[in-house]
Amino acid sequence: MENRRAEKGVVRGRQFEIEVDGRKIPAYEGETIGAALTAAGVRTLRRTAKHHHPRGMYCGIGLCYECAMVINGVPNTRVCQTLATPGCRVETQDGLGQWEGER
Amino acid sequence: MKELDLLILGAGPAGMAAAIEAAKAGIQVTVLDDDARPGGQIYRQFQAGFRVTDATALGHDYERGQELLKEFDTVADRVQFLDDAVVWGIAPECEVDFLRQGESRSVRYRQLVIAVGAYDRPVPFPGWTLPGVFTAGGAQRLIKMQRVLPGERILLAGTGPLQLAIANQIVDAGGKVEAIAEAGNIDKWMSLARGAWGQWTLIADAWRYWSGIRKAGIPLWREHIILEARGDGHVEEAVVAQVDADWRPVRGTDRTLAVDTVCIGYGFIPSVELTRLAGCAHRYDPLLGGWIPTRGEDMESTVSQVYVAGDCGGVAGSFVAIEEGRLAGIAAARTLGALAADEARRRMGPSRDRLAGLLRLRQTLDEISRPRPGLYELAKDDTIVCRCEEITLGEIKAALADDLQDLNELKRATRTGMGNCQGRMCGPALQEIVARVKGVPAAEIEPLRPRPPIRPIPMTALAGHAELA
Repeated sequence: MENRRAEKGVVRGRQFEIEVDGRKIPAYEGETIGAALTAAGVRTLRRTAKHHHPRGMYCGIGLCYECAMVINGVPNTRVCQTLATPGCRVETQDGLGQWEGER
Repeated sequence: MKELDLLILGAGPAGMAAAIEAAKAGIQVTVLDDDARPGGQIYRQFQAGFRVTDATALGHDYERGQELLKEFDTVADRVQFLDDAVVWGIAPECEVDFLRQGESRSVRYRQLVIAVGAYDRPVPFPGWTLPGVFTAGGAQRLIKMQRVLPGERILLAGTGPLQLAIANQIVDAGGKVEAIAEAGNIDKWMSLARGAWGQWTLIADAWRYWSGIRKAGIPLWREHIILEARGDGHVEEAVVAQVDADWRPVRGTDRTLAVDTVCIGYGFIPSVELTRLAGCAHRYDPLLGGWIPTRGEDMESTVSQVYVAGDCGGVAGSFVAIEEGRLAGIAAARTLGALAADEARRRMGPSRDRLAGLLRLRQTLDEISRPRPGLYELAKDDTIVCRCEEITLGEIKAALADDLQDLNELKRATRTGMGNCQGRMCGPALQEIVARVKGVPAAEIEPLRPRPPIRPIPMTALAGHAELA
């Protein structure tokens, strides 16, 4: 896959890894989780409650909630608004999502 | 409860300009924004971690934004900026409720400026919920502020000059635009040149964009619209067709394009949930994006303590937003007694002149990007219209057959508009779709009533709701 990160005009901060459904992908300081996922070619961020359809980033500005994922055990977190942090755990959200430890 | 002299919601061009003028008049200002730094969508700043090495590579909006941000900095001692604040309600008695750092807070104000901007017009069409379909604004934010391309083979579909700007940004970032489908008649854009006479910076921008797409060899399909996005689990191809003047497809002109990403840009919708919660009167103006608050020449709404500035008062872009923000800031300072009437009038002069100069351009742009009827006829009966609750056009039509009168009855009957986005993504299309099914003008359909909390907030935060310390 081509490099989806543009180099022109900016220098990125520190690189680290985040864990997406158990797989490690790179992210940089200042990057949203949504941007890191997009750069890695990850597009399906959640599956809907009723029809189990895949959804991805849509509005990109925090309004549509399509990019809601489970971040460090917290469901319904918008990855377009949430900055990646070293080692953060990102999980594809199934339906309305479950809080960690919830049965 | 703590009472602020002047509270400003939104730190985009309009909110910053309002804060600058009020602070210059000696007012203490508080600004709330849901981002970490001021700037708004258009002048958004890079997150810590990114270092800008070449501002010219980031486009002219970036440089213009830096000027306004610098001016905002000069009044920093009179401005309290509260970042990461999601406003979820406005209560009677001049009270604003917001979520910040996981806690819900409320604060009272004497004067309020609402400057919360606009968002991309959502357009339901078959396949629009597939991963790989972005709004143009969302894609632009990824490219500009994260420096990440939304995909590898990109189709831009929509209308207006913004599409050309984004195509250039994609190319500059090293990406590939397969084609631009422009629904409008570009020959009519020539009238833009007359409307823009005197607006040399805008003309220069437009010229750069045109040259950019020519140089990159990007096909620009005039009077073409996207009919469908297809793929197994994500976008793999898109179907576009030629349209007539009403944006209705011409039979036999369909063509299929192998793309992995589609960016949809049919203009913007003013964010009016807060002005509606505040009780401001609104009117329906399709040219300015739908429902907009009624305003006077000082940007005052119909509610006495509430001013409205920028795109949330009618979509007109950042140049207009800045001047409207200045007017609102000066007017609020006058109301608070910090400026005499003559002095306020004198300070408003330059902004009024600039707004008059932008008016003709604004009218021309409005006319060009006005959505035509065919846009809201793309959805089929099995197309999802309400993305959150997964309600199809067919289900909506069936419910409407039961003699429902407005969107609120539709919401109760079908859950349409009840999800996490609170009707922001389905409301504008529903307005037009329901009007057509009912055979009445869209202006006669009562829109979805915003109910606090207008943003999803955790119950734990609500339980601890308190006054701002």
